[in-house]
Amino acid sequence: MKTLSYLSLLFALVLSVPGQAQQTLESVSGKALFGDMKARHIGPALMSGRINDMEVHPTNSRIIYAGTAGGGVWRSNDAGTTFNPIFDEHCQSIGAVALDPNDPDKTIYVGTGETWTRNSVSVGCGLFKSTDGGSNFNKIGFENSERIANIIVNPKNSNEIYVAVLGALWGDSEERGVFKSTDGGATWSKQLYVDGKTGCADLAMDPSDPNTLYASMWEFRRTGWSFESGGKNSALYKSTDAGKTWNKIHKGFPEGNLGRLAIAVAPSNPKVLYTVIEAEKDERKGIYRSDNAGESWEQLNNDFGITVRPFYFSRLSVDPRDENVVVKAGYSGSISRDGGKTFKNLGRMHSDIHDIVFSIKDSDIMYVGTDGGVYRTWDGGTTMEIVQNLPISQFYHISLDDAKPYNVYGGLQDNGSWYGPSSSTGGVEARDWNSVGYGDGFRVLKHPTKNIIYSEMQGAENVWRYDADNRLVKTIEPLPKDDEVKLRFNWNPPMAVSEHQPDRFYMASQFLHRSEDMGDTWEIISPDLTTNDPTKQNQEDSGGLSMDNSGAENHTTIFTIAESSLDEKVIWVGTDDGNVQVTQDGGKTWSNTTANITGLPKNTWCYHIEASVFDKGTAYAVFDGHTQNDQNPYAYKTTDFGKTWTNIISEGVEGFARNIQEDYVNPDLLFLGTEFGLYITMDGGKNWKKFTNNMPAVAVHFIDLQKTTNDLVMGTHGRGIIIIDDISPLREINGEVLNSNVHFFTSKATPINEKGGFSGSFGNETEFVGSSKSTGVQLKYFLKKRHTFGKMSLDIKDEQGNIVADLAPGKAKGINIVTWNANKKLPKTAKGKTFTFGGFTAPKVPAGMYTAILKKGKDTFEHTFELVYDEANNLSMEDRKIKNDITSQLYDMTQDLAYLIYEMDEIIQSAESNGNTKTAEKLNSLKETLVITTGDNYVGSAEPQLREKMAKLYSKVATSYDKPTASEMENLKVISSRFETAKADFAKIKNKYLKKQPLELKTFDEFLESK
Amino acid sequence: MIRLKIALLFIACATLSVQAQTADEILDNYFENIGGKESLNSLNGMKMKGVGKQQNFEFPIEIVQMKDGRQYFSADIQGKQLKQQVFDGTVLWSTNFMTMKAEKSDAEQTANFKLNTNDFPDSFMDYKEKGYTVELLGKETMDGAETFKIKLVKEPLMVDGKEEDDISFYYFDTENFVPIVVESKITTGPAKGKSSKSTMSDYQEVDGIYFPFSTSQYIDGNLVFTMEMENMELNPEVDDAVFAFPEQMTEEK
Repeated sequence: MKTLSYLSLLFALVLSVPGQAQQTLESVSGKALFGDMKARHIGPALMSGRINDMEVHPTNSRIIYAGTAGGGVWRSNDAGTTFNPIFDEHCQSIGAVALDPNDPDKTIYVGTGETWTRNSVSVGCGLFKSTDGGSNFNKIGFENSERIANIIVNPKNSNEIYVAVLGALWGDSEERGVFKSTDGGATWSKQLYVDGKTGCADLAMDPSDPNTLYASMWEFRRTGWSFESGGKNSALYKSTDAGKTWNKIHKGFPEGNLGRLAIAVAPSNPKVLYTVIEAEKDERKGIYRSDNAGESWEQLNNDFGITVRPFYFSRLSVDPRDENVVVKAGYSGSISRDGGKTFKNLGRMHSDIHDIVFSIKDSDIMYVGTDGGVYRTWDGGTTMEIVQNLPISQFYHISLDDAKPYNVYGGLQDNGSWYGPSSSTGGVEARDWNSVGYGDGFRVLKHPTKNIIYSEMQGAENVWRYDADNRLVKTIEPLPKDDEVKLRFNWNPPMAVSEHQPDRFYMASQFLHRSEDMGDTWEIISPDLTTNDPTKQNQEDSGGLSMDNSGAENHTTIFTIAESSLDEKVIWVGTDDGNVQVTQDGGKTWSNTTANITGLPKNTWCYHIEASVFDKGTAYAVFDGHTQNDQNPYAYKTTDFGKTWTNIISEGVEGFARNIQEDYVNPDLLFLGTEFGLYITMDGGKNWKKFTNNMPAVAVHFIDLQKTTNDLVMGTHGRGIIIIDDISPLREINGEVLNSNVHFFTSKATPINEKGGFSGSFGNETEFVGSSKSTGVQLKYFLKKRHTFGKMSLDIKDEQGNIVADLAPGKAKGINIVTWNANKKLPKTAKGKTFTFGGFTAPKVPAGMYTAILKKGKDTFEHTFELVYDEANNLSMEDRKIKNDITSQLYDMTQDLAYLIYEMDEIIQSAESNGNTKTAEKLNSLKETLVITTGDNYVGSAEPQLREKMAKLYSKVATSYDKPTASEMENLKVISSRFETAKADFAKIKNKYLKKQPLELKTFDEFLESK
Repeated sequence: MIRLKIALLFIACATLSVQAQTADEILDNYFENIGGKESLNSLNGMKMKGVGKQQNFEFPIEIVQMKDGRQYFSADIQGKQLKQQVFDGTVLWSTNFMTMKAEKSDAEQTANFKLNTNDFPDSFMDYKEKGYTVELLGKETMDGAETFKIKLVKEPLMVDGKEEDDISFYYFDTENFVPIVVESKITTGPAKGKSSKSTMSDYQEVDGIYFPFSTSQYIDGNLVFTMEMENMELNPEVDDAVFAFPEQMTEEK
């Protein structure tokens, strides 16, 4: 191995290059540290989440794309039956997906930033292009576009691309309008721009003439307390010179200001255009048609389905084969088959329809994007069928309980409130989830000691107290006590339970409300803690041209409540208009600490306060400024009840932050959720590392840490619940560990999983199944360098020094996790014609101390850990001993029989070659009673023989949680005695034969070792 | 015996100062570091023996690959040799676990398999002559290590009657230029569209050429199978019969 030593020399030299040797928390990247710590997704997908844009492949009807509001881009290769994500590394809010019609398999454009501009909408991060069918995407501009409505590639020239930028929702921006590239996206020129408040909401190209374009411009603005759609700048434009000049095409349009407009060109007859218009007068709103390519327009219909909430539903889709079939997105979705004169609703599905596309093959087939995922229809829109594997649920908030496995509770955008298990046999399936609230769901909290669940809907219209054992429900929202004082609840109203008083329940409007009897009686324990700015309280005027007072814009409200786990009299409150208030006397007196925070713009929304578990004067506050058009992250720490606050955001954190979670053990370990993912610091905020292992760049709205499992659980707004199991290794990461070649992380006594159970996987072919937590024993170690050259092995040794398992070690730089199911190796079974299925059982090792032996090149590293019995199984130690002894006895018998058959086969072969047919015949007939020598592994199987009977009993005893039954012990006697007889019969023949014919046979140990 | 040359050592060190690398330079370094193109070209076949680990189930395996594309993978389960992915030059076949009899793969899979028979001993060898394209996409951290990401496009595959590109991404460790991770999208079957990843490690030298003795396969990020080689024989003597499709699989004792 001379070469290897040269290689080692090389590595030694490489490592000695200055600056390479010492790793620090500053120098190490998240990707080089987190290793095998990997997020797992549990959905749910049964209610799915909001879809922004659907796209079909122009020539392959099997390929469908869904651009989602907060969960990235998903592609189906099977005509919409199942979908896979293809855009996890980038921001997950999608405005438009487009394929180059000249190269649709390879060239994909993704414009980010949702365009249905509700209050909770996420933000985008530019335009992306893939030239390899979606394996890799590169950003090609529009960094500050925030929202992209359309991308159109000239079907005759792939280099010519038009992009409709809707632009910023919360403030002025010049990066809006229609842009064009003539070099495949390398450079862009602005073709149509109106002002900093008006963006391009829809763009269409005449399919017969790529120089003819239609663009709808929309004046719009949202603030934390209002929404405004429409103005003098909203208009529909046409260009016939490839975007150089644009003219308004308003002949026949309503008078006065316009709002959001959609535009669609009928592919089968490009003279036919449809637009849907938001206008000042209700009677002039609705769908308009032009039969002369926009020269003049005629209003056709203004039903509810056509005019409802234009900012949320605007899309028009025309049947590619029939210009008179037009579909309009809306509350239910509407379809016309008479050219837009009359409409009927699409079939029953989740309400709030955002996009509809027709199959390229058959207009009976449509794909529809809704607030509740993608639906398919096979009958022209009458019957809708949901796609069951899009786990893009949009959580606002989550909480956990202490069940085993623990449950996750949370509320979803337009999809109610739910709880479900964090782990389940066979994976977390749709049927594992339980509905606990209607409407939009937000916070869901479990009573600390009783099986009672609190949930709510928007604006605290209903706050439910659900007795889950008895299925009894009542509403308990605080009601006004004074006719003069209106309670202002946020759209997403805060609630909290207490660790000190299990029946205590908090809610907040502009006041903090406290109940000591689970919501039956309420007491206001604060003054108005907000700025109470009356200019931010006119929600009935919200909406612009279409009134939209849903409660989503309620402002000057309390948004977060945190009672200290160390002192029930210390309560923190954060408001949506920027106040952080604290009481140290249970609400008698309050102090507003906002003025003590330096560097925070005025009125920045306080999204979360985390009261420290280490010290009652310590807390973290996270602020979200994006509704003031400020996308910087803000998180501060106080250690003196808010007298002073320190910024804990350092370089590298991307996206505005909404939540922070403190570790329960290491005060320097913090988890930060931002609009673009999860960040982790191990030094109190000096360095933040982005966590990207199976963790999409999704908006993390809420984080919780489960105390007994140390699992980090995230409620994401677009990818459901995402869990990182056991973050405890991160507590140990420091300069010393980072510079150890191998460091085993501390492991607490691990129960050997003895649980069984059943899980029918019915429906899982097309249904999302969340991954469960590993039930194995996990060995976790840090490697300073990736192991690439030379041997590496990981064996497990018991207290007697026996190697009971050899595992496949992880070799990544950073944290490695190797899972062992606490099984010994399989017994070596006798070779027969077919398998003996009992022989595929590996017995569990007994509880005790074990040592992991990691060999890496010449070095050996050891780590001792303890395995304990599963406390769910209360088998006595005496009974366990019996079980283990009998299992071992049968394990050994199985291997003894295997050896006997080996010897027998060798002698048969020898006898046959020597012409000793008598011995061969005798042995063959004995063998037929010991192992199966005919048949197959399925319905052609032969009668079981001794091997099969022995293996069956072995497997039965080994896999039972219990000690062997009387019946099993009786069966053991029968099998043992049969085996003894066989051994004696064989010994006679063998001894006789070997006396005449010497034969070299492996010893028992050699046989076991042989492969 | 081909040795790693001292010059290479400096090349490797110099890359730390991050100079521009082309895909071809990276591949040249790779071939040089594992033993040289000449040695690889002179290979006629390989026979590997080791263990397969699936969760904690462990079984002996044997793999033979020949320069002309013939190959087999064999797993020893309860003393029975179960051959999978056997190619005799014409027929691709596997053993059915129920009947323990040989069955042919479908025509499309066989045709796709035949496209790979020019990949011995390495897909990147003479890739231009094979009509493949190679592109350096940049650097990326994989398995914690800094790597060069290289895209390899081979002959298009047929998938359920439609042509699809055969793309994979190789990650070469910037320190020693050997690939440590390969990623691709699964193109057929129920896992179609999901990501597939192989990691390679435990590179060891056999007659002057380095091979990864340990390979792990992941689907959607979850470890499904690890192969750990115990010995590897170059240019082995192999009987033609081991590849042949048995019309009726012969009885084994």
